[in-house]
Amino acid sequence: MALLLRTHYNLAKASLKQNRTRSFLTCLGIAIGVASIILILSLMGSIKNLIATQVSSIGSNLIVVRPATHKDAVSSIIEELTSSNQYAKSSLTLSDVDKIKGLENISAVAPIAISNNTIHGDNTVNSGTIVGTNADFINIQNFSISSGSFLDKNSPDNAAVVGYSIAIELFGTPDNSITKTISIRGQKFIVTGVLEKIEDPINFNNVDLDNAVLIDANMLHSIDNSIQIQQINIKTSTTDTISETASNINDALIKEKAGDNNFSVAYGDQITHPTGSLITIISGILAMVASISLVVGGIGVMNIMLVSVSERTHEIGIRKAVGASNSNILLQFLFESLILSLLGGLFGLALGYIIAFLISLITPFSPYISLEILAITVATSLIVGIIFGLYPALKAAHKNPIESLKHYR
Amino acid sequence: MTGKGHPIIELKKLTKRYGYGDTESFALKDFDLTVKRGEFIMIMGPSGCGKTTLLNIIGLLDQATSGSYSLNGEAVESISKRRQARLRARKIGFVFQNFNLISDLSVIENVALPLVYSGYSKTHRLTQASSTLGRFHLKEREYYMPWQLSGGQQQRVAIARTIVSDPEIILADEPTGNLDSRSSHIVMEELKNIHQEGNTIIMVTHNPSLTTYATRVINMLDGHIDTDIKTVADRDLPQPISVRFNKKEEN
Repeated sequence: MALLLRTHYNLAKASLKQNRTRSFLTCLGIAIGVASIILILSLMGSIKNLIATQVSSIGSNLIVVRPATHKDAVSSIIEELTSSNQYAKSSLTLSDVDKIKGLENISAVAPIAISNNTIHGDNTVNSGTIVGTNADFINIQNFSISSGSFLDKNSPDNAAVVGYSIAIELFGTPDNSITKTISIRGQKFIVTGVLEKIEDPINFNNVDLDNAVLIDANMLHSIDNSIQIQQINIKTSTTDTISETASNINDALIKEKAGDNNFSVAYGDQITHPTGSLITIISGILAMVASISLVVGGIGVMNIMLVSVSERTHEIGIRKAVGASNSNILLQFLFESLILSLLGGLFGLALGYIIAFLISLITPFSPYISLEILAITVATSLIVGIIFGLYPALKAAHKNPIESLKHYR
Repeated sequence: MTGKGHPIIELKKLTKRYGYGDTESFALKDFDLTVKRGEFIMIMGPSGCGKTTLLNIIGLLDQATSGSYSLNGEAVESISKRRQARLRARKIGFVFQNFNLISDLSVIENVALPLVYSGYSKTHRLTQASSTLGRFHLKEREYYMPWQLSGGQQQRVAIARTIVSDPEIILADEPTGNLDSRSSHIVMEELKNIHQEGNTIIMVTHNPSLTTYATRVINMLDGHIDTDIKTVADRDLPQPISVRFNKKEEN
């Protein structure tokens, strides 16, 4: 049997070599389909990887509380996607922050409240991002300060720390921004610090700090009481009891909210989840669109196999006359389509990574290679080969030998 | 399947019908034929009298509409398609008027083709094919493509392909039909030699002068036997091939 399979493989290889251009073009069809899927999967993988790296660099003692419960079901993710602002009805309040602070094993708690407002500095930034937080923010996630200092207990209520990029927008230069004033909704703030340049617009905070002004959360609440707390970052004092601490926080908040479980407590890998699930669904949709091109490639395989079968009707007749069974013929043609699609798949894998690499040169993504993606490629191209090769192969196998022998090219 | 006591081919009331109703026609009608091991049968008759249909049915490429066919004492209807294919690869050889070589394969690969489906290794296939070609003085043409050979050479390649797997029955459908008289003669001599080794040959021809090679001449008319003349007594037929060849036993 193994011998026969090898013979079929050799036969198929020989016949593909005879029609080099045709085989190559058919492979190309599959390759483009596979390449686009690989491209999307590898970029998606790289984004997830990016966030996972950030979280692990912060340390294993990070707990994050977000409004609304964990979203796993596809329907709720779609709902999340279609609502205009996913945190429009945040269930978290500033009193929750204080509540968490009072629990055991907690070393730092910082809310992330977001408001979009016009910021007036030397220049005006329309719709700038204002983050309301507290001094603990920098204790949880270590930022480098370019000049001045971060918010701390001694800083005045109207202190503001600005991101590197927004500092340039507001004052033209990141240097000498300290002690300058900005005003938001008529309230004046004094710049006490400028952050170092941060190049990770995609992060677990869902805020691009490079383009944000950070002020005290209570202060932000007083000038804009419609702010929403989109996340609370918590640092525990010990990593051993993190799951216990997380469930303590969960219990405390449920009690605080009179039994409503409209928030989620995440630690470890779960932190990447909300961004991750969003990316998963988007890339899933993109991959589905890309797989249309794979189907087109598959139809190309089927088309070329049908041509091949009808061109070689006479050969099929001869083979049957000298002793080929139906399954021999079936396997011979199935092997051809399998080799075509597998070659196309491998070619597409290489092509996809090359394009992903080129994209990585101009974006923060880096192509992410995993065994999973390799397996998906091989499996999909094999499946495409079988699905689209089966009909032509069956057609070849069931040809009447006598009719076939009369058939000439 | 030793089939010692059985005739190698036994057809009883074999009928092959094409079409239905008004278009109904019979290629074979109540056809009876018993073929013994070692016979060289020439089948003659006008076009459309069912000669080719008969060969196709005997060669397991076609099925009769009704009647019975036993091959080596075994009813063909009870043999699975898969085993029929294997029998075609090992026990039955076809020679066609138009040679029917695969044009994309070299001469040696064409000859080795039946061995592919008998499950031999590539090395074995090629050495076997090469030695068979040597017998037909075509060894130096092994790696030619079929279209580079003359008609007579192509037919000899086709005959080499037929006997490469040591079949018991050789079915030839006007093997000299496309050849000039010199090539015809060479091809017939080859067939005669194969017959002398104990193979059973059934050959369809239009050429009455070739009947001198046969041990039995059958004239067909409208799907049945018109005349059936044996020119050699049964006891003088060549020895069964099992004595001469070291045959690979099936099963």
